[in-house]
Amino acid sequence: MRADYLIAILLLIPLTIIQLTVIPLFSYNQIAPDLVLILLVYYTLRMGQMHGTILGFIFGLFFDLVSGGILGSAMFSKTLSGFLAGYFYNENKVELNLHTFMFLFIVLVIGTVDSVTYSFFGSADTSSNMLTLILVQGLFPAMYSSVLSLPMVIFHSRKIFA
Amino acid sequence: MKVFFSRFWFGYKEYIIVVLLLVISLSVLSLNSKPGIKKVKAYAFGGFAVCTSGVSKILEPFSTAFEVESLREENARLMLQVNRLREYGLQNEELKKQLALKDSSQYPLVSARVVSKFVSASQGNFIINAGDDRNIKTGMPVINSQGLLGVVTTVSKDYSIVRTLRNRELKFAVKNQRSRFDGVLEWNGKELTIKNVPKTYDMEVGDRIVTSDFSTKFPPSIPVGVVAGGNRDKTGIFNNIVVSPYADFVRVEHVFVIAFVPSVQKNNLELNLIKNN
Repeated sequence: MRADYLIAILLLIPLTIIQLTVIPLFSYNQIAPDLVLILLVYYTLRMGQMHGTILGFIFGLFFDLVSGGILGSAMFSKTLSGFLAGYFYNENKVELNLHTFMFLFIVLVIGTVDSVTYSFFGSADTSSNMLTLILVQGLFPAMYSSVLSLPMVIFHSRKIFA
Repeated sequence: MKVFFSRFWFGYKEYIIVVLLLVISLSVLSLNSKPGIKKVKAYAFGGFAVCTSGVSKILEPFSTAFEVESLREENARLMLQVNRLREYGLQNEELKKQLALKDSSQYPLVSARVVSKFVSASQGNFIINAGDDRNIKTGMPVINSQGLLGVVTTVSKDYSIVRTLRNRELKFAVKNQRSRFDGVLEWNGKELTIKNVPKTYDMEVGDRIVTSDFSTKFPPSIPVGVVAGGNRDKTGIFNNIVVSPYADFVRVEHVFVIAFVPSVQKNNLELNLIKNN
């Protein structure tokens, strides 16, 4: 378990660098995938709800510190995401959750919650309604993240059938 | 008692941990403006920016050759100059004697490179490779050859965080260069808007929007964008004007920090005026 934590945190550093340097090149209209979230969902589905919650907190804290965003906003949204992703954790279905299209679905659901929560803390705008907030600032980035996690699923499924 | 707590912990530990961590996050959110937190942030992003700077250098297809740098600087200066001249022309028609305007190009420009960008619907910001060592101060405006990009919010030794126009925390006074009407520009998560503009105000699509003389954050007449459209607010009394920014926030690589620090004295005077009223 300790090794899993260590690897997750070690992977977080290069992924955050990519998130802040490469990902903006692929963004469209302020919509960008969230690599940190994909990593968080992956490890939560491997390690369980409690560890996912703690990892979410660590990931959020690190991301807030290095991205220049409001300190606490990613901490909150990633902690919540880790906790909610933990509901999809099943000891007997780890392979199924991680290596099938189920993973994409989980990233989509958790990504929506994460983006909405994050936008909520970064926003003081009360004029946009809830539907716009969920659709534009929640679902679209989550869909992008979900699509980006597709190669991971394909790679793993090939490994299984090989 | 011990058994009770032990059972409680094992039964609800996930919930206890999530509540505890969420409370910590919310507490940290409320401490953002504390100097101690700002200092920690400055150290953290300063250290990490070294890594992102290396990667962004690799990604940059065109190297930051000196010639290109100096040309970009010249371009930015010319952009400010052209804008100033345009301003003078318009003012000259209306009030010939008011030519003694504040020269927005009198401030020195510090060139910098964007080392990382944070794309978010609400918290857009850049990290640039110029910091305290090059006399960058919090509150300095950041531009490129196209127009205004944002404002420096946090400074470390070698790097600074720039809050872009696409950040909900940044609101500032702007004016329509043709009709001279003022308003407050802000990012609503989707577009830049000037909210609550009376319907009687003369605003047309294509009008140039520049920083206002009333702005306490920016020097006057820095180009911001053009009026792209508008819509009525819920009350039907006011219009919300949509502004399309000149600067391309996705492709921006090189920026210039204007060595202008907002006047604390002016801010204090204005605050006193508000208090007295």
